[in-house]
Amino acid sequence: MSMTATRMLARDWRGGELGVLVAALVLAVAVVSGISAFTTRLQSALAQESHRFLAADRVVRSGSEAPLAWLEEAGRRGLDTAQVLTFPSMVYAGEEGMVLASVKAVSSRYPLRGELRYSEQPFGQVQVATGGPAAGTVWLDSRLFPLLGVDIGDTVSVGEASFRIAAAARTEPDQGGSFLGLGPRVLMHYDDIAATAVVQPGSRVEYRQLFAGEPPAVERFERWLAPQLEEGQRLLDVNEGQPGLGQALQRAESFLLLAGSLGVVLAGVAIALAARRFSERHNDYVAIMKSLGATSANITRLYGRSLLLLGVGATALGCGLGWALQSAFFTLIGEQLPVTPGPAGVRPYAIGAATALVCLLCFAWPPSRRLSQASPLRVLRRDMPQEQRRTLLDYAVGLSAVSGLMWWYSGDWKITLAVLSGLAVTVLLGLGLALTLLRGGRLVGMSAGSIWRLALAGLQRRGTANALQVVIFAMAIMLLLVLLLVRTSLIDAWQTQLPENTPNHFALNIAPEDVQGVEQMLRSREIPGAPLYPMIRGRILSVNGEDLPQTDDQEEGRRQREANFTWADTLPADNSLLEGRWWAPHSDAAEVSLEVEFAERFAVGLGDRIGFQVGSEAFEATVTSIRELDWQSFNPNFWLVFPPRLLAPYPATFMTSFYLQPEQKPFLNGFIRQFPTVTVVEMDVVVEQVRGIVSQVSAAVELVLAVIMAAGALVLVAGVQASVDARMHESSILRALGARRRLVLGGLWIEFAALGVFAGLLATVGAELSVYILQAQVMGMAYAPSPWMWPLGVGGGAVLIAGLGVFSCRRVVSSPPLAVLREL
Amino acid sequence: MIKAENLQKRVPMGGSELEILKGITLEIKSGESVAIIGASGSGKSTLLGLLAGLDEASAGRVVINGTDITALDEDQRAVFRGQHVGFVFQSFQLLPALTALENVMLPLELQGQGDALAQAQAFLERVGLAGRIQHYPRQMSGGEQQRVAIARAFANNPSILFADEPTGNLDTATGGHIVDLLFELNREQNTTLVLVTHDLSLAERCQHRFRLAAGALVDGG
Repeated sequence: MSMTATRMLARDWRGGELGVLVAALVLAVAVVSGISAFTTRLQSALAQESHRFLAADRVVRSGSEAPLAWLEEAGRRGLDTAQVLTFPSMVYAGEEGMVLASVKAVSSRYPLRGELRYSEQPFGQVQVATGGPAAGTVWLDSRLFPLLGVDIGDTVSVGEASFRIAAAARTEPDQGGSFLGLGPRVLMHYDDIAATAVVQPGSRVEYRQLFAGEPPAVERFERWLAPQLEEGQRLLDVNEGQPGLGQALQRAESFLLLAGSLGVVLAGVAIALAARRFSERHNDYVAIMKSLGATSANITRLYGRSLLLLGVGATALGCGLGWALQSAFFTLIGEQLPVTPGPAGVRPYAIGAATALVCLLCFAWPPSRRLSQASPLRVLRRDMPQEQRRTLLDYAVGLSAVSGLMWWYSGDWKITLAVLSGLAVTVLLGLGLALTLLRGGRLVGMSAGSIWRLALAGLQRRGTANALQVVIFAMAIMLLLVLLLVRTSLIDAWQTQLPENTPNHFALNIAPEDVQGVEQMLRSREIPGAPLYPMIRGRILSVNGEDLPQTDDQEEGRRQREANFTWADTLPADNSLLEGRWWAPHSDAAEVSLEVEFAERFAVGLGDRIGFQVGSEAFEATVTSIRELDWQSFNPNFWLVFPPRLLAPYPATFMTSFYLQPEQKPFLNGFIRQFPTVTVVEMDVVVEQVRGIVSQVSAAVELVLAVIMAAGALVLVAGVQASVDARMHESSILRALGARRRLVLGGLWIEFAALGVFAGLLATVGAELSVYILQAQVMGMAYAPSPWMWPLGVGGGAVLIAGLGVFSCRRVVSSPPLAVLREL
Repeated sequence: MIKAENLQKRVPMGGSELEILKGITLEIKSGESVAIIGASGSGKSTLLGLLAGLDEASAGRVVINGTDITALDEDQRAVFRGQHVGFVFQSFQLLPALTALENVMLPLELQGQGDALAQAQAFLERVGLAGRIQHYPRQMSGGEQQRVAIARAFANNPSILFADEPTGNLDTATGGHIVDLLFELNREQNTTLVLVTHDLSLAERCQHRFRLAAGALVDGG
């Protein structure tokens, strides 16, 4: 057949037949590629941002200096490197001053990522440094100044070397994480280590070799480096740099992927609807062509080529639009991003193209292919039923396509399963309920007024079609509700994790005799703080009578190691009991409660006996409970908790955390002078950093939500459009018979609103199920039912569908009935 | 020549079957003009659909120019229609997205004829629409649309033309012009004309008339 697909498409396009299908396809590709590119770039930006917590892109931690070969290889690959050495040492000043400090020696390029901050006076105005201390000088923690009785310009000694105090050290990018047991910071140059002569073989030191560069180069280097790591050398990535942040980022990533997956589903549904309408409208076309001699092979070829052309065009257009979309995102939130996002690469656009291909093959092709079966007799009898037999098979094909795409797109079968379960419930409930209710409407309709009778009759006449429409509306509303719910609980969770007065300072090593004084001082200044927790340094020796290996090289798993113990009569706040039972008050049994990850790492459970050593004494305790902690709460947390009586014989110090507003910082001066042995760790900068990232991610989440909402709206429009022809036809006949505007529009309002109410109801049920699975299984959050969703889902559904429906049919009351009828 | 032998059509209706055509036998010679008349629901259009190979009979057969079209499958019938048959319908059945010219070109293109454009232009001139070839159906009156349909029906030089109530959607004057045009072209092209109508004056212009009542031939030949 010589008439090419191009010409038919061009003719169709001119005739306005292709608009919805093309729009759905382009939007699908644009949404998928745009969001995918956006999340890819955002992830790279956030990864960069979080690399600041490592002060590098990759870090190798070890007990000895990194081999020179690594540095040479890194240099060859164009990576920056820097060295950090941390060790505890006494710092002396004059005759009296003497404090155990945590010394950190850094090379000139430190930090490779993030900012090092200092001030010219202790607790003074914070400034960003371009590098660490120069050789021969040190920067001291602000609180060391009163402890040592020194000022800027004075001299302190570390080991055998003396240094001039050049500044006050305020924050380092990689200081977060494990701060327990650290003394106040002394920052010096890496080249000065030798002169101090404190680092000897066997010293307790920690070397950190820092690497940074372009992400692909870093990844290649990591692959080169990983196999060369020996025992005791450990490669750190972002999540280990900042566990709390890692979890927040992971949730954000899950959300963005979920949003993208929902985008895929919505796009698929929109394309399916548009293609169905396209093929329905082409039924007459095909009948005429067949009456003129076209064979089914002709028709199949024609529509196959048309779809192919359509797919290619829409993919190109959609990818362009997707690119523009993600650029627009970054223009919008660019100011909030502290780093330039990297390139997205080809993958997002490949995903977009594949989405178009799969959607066309699975959603648009089946109804188009069936066009070739259309009977030419339609030219004589337009009321002939259209071929619909394979509709169920279509849905099955579409469902598998959507599942496959979602799985590919999110890379997470849990997300896919959660969404599919919700969808399945919505669809099954929907078909059952919709058919029952719509059929039941006849009884009610009998006695109702004419508008109602009209509307209910309309609903029933197209019972099956309406049931399908309800299911489609419900799917779209459900997906939007899921996204809205997850986004709301995600942002709420972040905000409640870091509420306004999140503790931002820790006080450690509080002697028992100082406990009252510290409490009093905090209270008298009205500084909000956590209770004081006792803390005992001890060692884990054995499990079930079997001694653990002593090697310190082994990072993971069971080994003898030091830990902080605490005691408590009641379960500490922020803790929740996962297994076992909490001990009775005043218990003197040998029991211990473990944090769940700690228990997993040591492979111990309820009933196991663990051997401990505190000071020179050893004792055993049985695990009677497993707890979960909120590590992001910035409250003091402990892996191991004992009944008070068990630890009573051992010497303890206490710790607490409290919240200082920026203008309250000078409080620390007096605090440290009054309690010179107490160690204060300033976490305010870290807390602010985490807050900053959370607010950026929240903004991104809101943007993505808006885009997916648009995709959802398109599904609703396509869904309404699917029935507009039939409704317009009936309404114009009513108009021709003299029905008033009020009657016709009122009937349409009621009809569409009823569909909306059903759809909203089903959507809410499905959404609750999906959100339960998502929150409990994917996001690792506590599930809470959302009562507000019910009025929103049902009411929103009714208003939205009725509004869209009446809007789409509005011409029926503004145009002459014959003009409307002739066009249908 | 068209021969129908004991042609029957039944459709399932509820639990039982509705008999629309009850064994029609007729013969139409080449070049004849024939009207099928009868009340609404008498089975006229169904008979036309079967004779033209648009529908499948429940029993009996239709032979056109020596080919038993009831033995062909749908695709073979489509090819047969393209080569031998033209249609004019009550509701015109133009493709709304195509211009008048493109509508007339369609059957020629389906036949793979290279000079579709020139032929289509010539036929549109012949039906008096030379100035409107780039217009879409919605921009034309009913009479003009039916002229386009007639041009399309004759475009591939069919040996038989089937017309289903060709004037049903037109006023009397316009209908008259259309019928004149139809018969003129029929004579020029020497086609067999089979038309379904309940307009007796139109039927009078045909050489033969078959009258249907309740699915049976009550008068004909």
